[in-house]
Amino acid sequence: MKKVKKVFGLVTAAALFAAVVGCGSSNNSDSSNSPSASGSAPASASASAPAEKLKKITIFQSKVEIADSLEAAAKKYTEETGNEVEVWGAAGDAYMTQLQAKLTSNQGPSLFSVGAGPEADKFKSYLADMSNEPYAANIAPNMELKEDGKTVGVPYGVEGFGMVYNKKLVDQANMKDADSFIKTLQDLKGKGVNPFSLSQEAYFLIGHIINAPFAAQPDPQAFIEKLNKGEVKMADTKEFQEWAKMMEAIKATSKNPMEVKYDTQMGDFGTGKTAIVNQGNWSYGMLKDFGDMSNDVGMAPFPLGGNDKLAVGVASYWVINSKADADEQKAASAFLNWLLTSETGKNTIVNEWKFIPAMTNIEAADLDPLSKDVFEATKSGQTVPWAFIYFPQGIIVNDLAPAAQEFFLKKDMTGAQFLQKLDAAWAKAAK
Amino acid sequence: MSKKKDKAWFALFTVPLLFVFTTVVIIPFIIGIVYSFVKWDGIPANPKVFVGFNNYVQLFQDDRFLASAWNTVEFTVIALIAVNLLGLILSLFVTSKLKVSNAARTMFFMPNLIGGLILGYIWQFIFTDALSYIGDKTGLHSIFFNWLLNPQAALMAMVIVFTWQMAGYTMIIYIAGIQGIPDEMMEAAKVDGANLWHRLTKIVFPLLMPSFTICLFLTLSGAFKIFDVNLSLTKGGPNNATEMFAMNIYNEIFGYSHYGLGQAKAIVFFLVVAAITLTQVIITKKREVQM
Amino acid sequence: MKRSGKILFEILLVIVALAFLSPVYIMLVNSFKNRAELYENALALPSSFSFKYYSQAMDKMNFLTAFGNSLFVTITSVVIVVLLASMTAWMLVRTDNKLSKFIFLTLVATMLIPFQTLMMPLMQVMDWIRHNLHIPMLNTHGGLIYMNVGFHASMAVFLYHGFMKSIPIALEEAATLDGCSKFGVFWRIVFPMLTTITITIAILDVIAMWNDYLLPSLTLADKGLRTIPLSTFYFFGQFTIVWNLAMAGLTLTIIPVVIFYLFSQKYIIKGIAAGAVK
Repeated sequence: MKKVKKVFGLVTAAALFAAVVGCGSSNNSDSSNSPSASGSAPASASASAPAEKLKKITIFQSKVEIADSLEAAAKKYTEETGNEVEVWGAAGDAYMTQLQAKLTSNQGPSLFSVGAGPEADKFKSYLADMSNEPYAANIAPNMELKEDGKTVGVPYGVEGFGMVYNKKLVDQANMKDADSFIKTLQDLKGKGVNPFSLSQEAYFLIGHIINAPFAAQPDPQAFIEKLNKGEVKMADTKEFQEWAKMMEAIKATSKNPMEVKYDTQMGDFGTGKTAIVNQGNWSYGMLKDFGDMSNDVGMAPFPLGGNDKLAVGVASYWVINSKADADEQKAASAFLNWLLTSETGKNTIVNEWKFIPAMTNIEAADLDPLSKDVFEATKSGQTVPWAFIYFPQGIIVNDLAPAAQEFFLKKDMTGAQFLQKLDAAWAKAAK
Repeated sequence: MSKKKDKAWFALFTVPLLFVFTTVVIIPFIIGIVYSFVKWDGIPANPKVFVGFNNYVQLFQDDRFLASAWNTVEFTVIALIAVNLLGLILSLFVTSKLKVSNAARTMFFMPNLIGGLILGYIWQFIFTDALSYIGDKTGLHSIFFNWLLNPQAALMAMVIVFTWQMAGYTMIIYIAGIQGIPDEMMEAAKVDGANLWHRLTKIVFPLLMPSFTICLFLTLSGAFKIFDVNLSLTKGGPNNATEMFAMNIYNEIFGYSHYGLGQAKAIVFFLVVAAITLTQVIITKKREVQM
Repeated sequence: MKRSGKILFEILLVIVALAFLSPVYIMLVNSFKNRAELYENALALPSSFSFKYYSQAMDKMNFLTAFGNSLFVTITSVVIVVLLASMTAWMLVRTDNKLSKFIFLTLVATMLIPFQTLMMPLMQVMDWIRHNLHIPMLNTHGGLIYMNVGFHASMAVFLYHGFMKSIPIALEEAATLDGCSKFGVFWRIVFPMLTTITITIAILDVIAMWNDYLLPSLTLADKGLRTIPLSTFYFFGQFTIVWNLAMAGLTLTIIPVVIFYLFSQKYIIKGIAAGAVK
């Protein structure tokens, strides 16, 4: 009897101990023991005072591909400056949810990433003003993230998308407007090549390609506003009608994108089965897994209405959590400054992450062919904006993609009907 | 023993668990109910506006939500039958005195050991690559095509994956139940000349009633809440044909940032499902045989 | 006739079992392929069996630390769940009044709540506890264990409740007359008779907790605390998956549970072999 009780007591004690005491208590964002909360945060990052030990910071960001080199960079930062950094991680799909959970429970992070448009607006109250930080002055013109006229985010880098094509199979000169584009598709089909490939992921199916008719509007953002209010319809707009015709041609000549995953899309392209894919410079990382085609690949503008510009923009920005205490914000800003100005940091950005820098003080290095095309376009100003980032939140995945799925799965659905579907989907999502 | 003392024992045995349970499940659930009357985007620092029953009114006008609720019902009914039938048959097989029982038991249970999102991705290879491969080899394109592109077939694909996962799960609960049946009882019945069917229906099934209750309920709640497989296998497509209830709520909360509306959906669905399943539990519990 | 029928039957069973394992096959073969090879044919055997993706995956996942974390969290959680749930279920079964019915139905009903709707409020509650009671519920293993117990409590009670009835009440009464306290009756008489269902619950909970991604991802942040599923995040980009490392990582994740299952299955079978527990 006694023995049983004793065992039970021990177990409960152990349980209580485990539950209550836990193990490890790295409690970063607890602000109670930080006495020196002075002035407006983040106070200027003074990298010139190495003696001062800064508060430990936490970093959380969305791009899984750079996760381990960011960890390595953080380690170097600690070696160089003595300041501690903890890098968190999340699977690509889970980042937003986890960020929301961490912010809800006041766990931090000190430095995190957001996309532009509605996503940044949503987190507006967490974005610290970095207008007066030294690195803010180095951001390339119009590349910063702004809220209420203040700079609140530093771009990761520039990215661009368009028609990634195989130079051995197509000539860019044959795709200068909608008619020649459609003819090229038909020619390619005649040769037994899959002419043009979208893939089943929402952004690759519709999100990127529908950017073209939006970007073709005189003021894309104003157009989106009007669309939200129901004052205009895609079905009645000239550029969209032409776009729909091109989509019809894609559907008629090419493999059903619903059968294609991003992986197979790049595989088909890399092995010469597909001539053109609607993709961005980021896809080169996967393309090179299928063999070296660095001399045969290029990026051409989607020729809607004779468009000759690539769609270039910034997908993510570094932002500092304004709800963290002043010391932590200062430390976060110091890290960012180090990343963007020190040799080690700059090297990480261009050589490890292979980003096309969007900072005036960082030189692009060793770009792959697709990034080179994007970089050239950016330098010469031959770009159209990413209009899709101003779409109502969640609309691409939740509303436009299903409409596009229907279009590609129903053989007899016309481009005009597709536009009506898209209008209906938009009206519902913008409510 | 005094009543008071009984009560003290009752508290001592149940309070530790109930305390944890309350803080982790009940209180968050109640907070969730409160949020269902609020318009809010889910970001703590952003404003919450009290809107009364507005979210509840709105959700009944949401065709897509109603469609996803119907998808879920359809999926659950089919999955419930498939999982339990297969689980029961498997459990009878592997408890019979066959040489391969042990190996088979392990193999059938294996699917459960693989969890999470990647499961759906693996099955994508089967429904897209493997099926079209077989279709090309055999010419039977009416059965072997990419199931994920057809609304009905995609729903069936989800049933298959769910069944594959859950059948082994229910199997081990049925096994636990079958083991509870005294051998002497079965021997006696055999001696009395009862055939297999009689032994099953007159002895095994009635004594398995607790296992039925449990398995039916577990499958039911698992099917109603299905999320991982939904997200990774079909993403709700094609054209939202397989969007289930949990995914619809998730999209509402995290996709559109309509936190309050998402919570309201969750509460309505919970009430409906709880009413149905608790009735089921109470009914089957009544039929259980006390030893 | 009967004998050949039985053999045929066994063969059939083996075929069904193998078909059951086809996804496992896909997982294994693709953990040895590079992207080009996977693109060629996802179903074919790999051209070479080199374990380099396994060692890369282990390296990136920080496997040993993650394994230790998973082991600690899972075992502690399961032990607590089993102890607390069996006690609770016993009381609920043996006390026939409105309160115990109410508690039971509440526990059961909450199993129908999708976790996605609880997670944000849960984070708020945990933050409240951390802030006001100064108990570190977030970013600690202890906090995760606490929440694991809360979320798995209802199913364990439900399972115990279902099987508790097959225990003859007469034995308990006899023991009570012999002067055993409720503690004594429970731990000496009742709990030992629940072995089969206890192991069943342990198996189910071990698997669920071992594989869980969502809850740990919300509560654990620091690298040193990550469980195995959390540390596979490196392989899952928003649009792409590093298939070979992901499959190798998954294989590494499930090997320990396979071993655990084989081991505990033997234990259940022993239970059968020992004959009627009663």
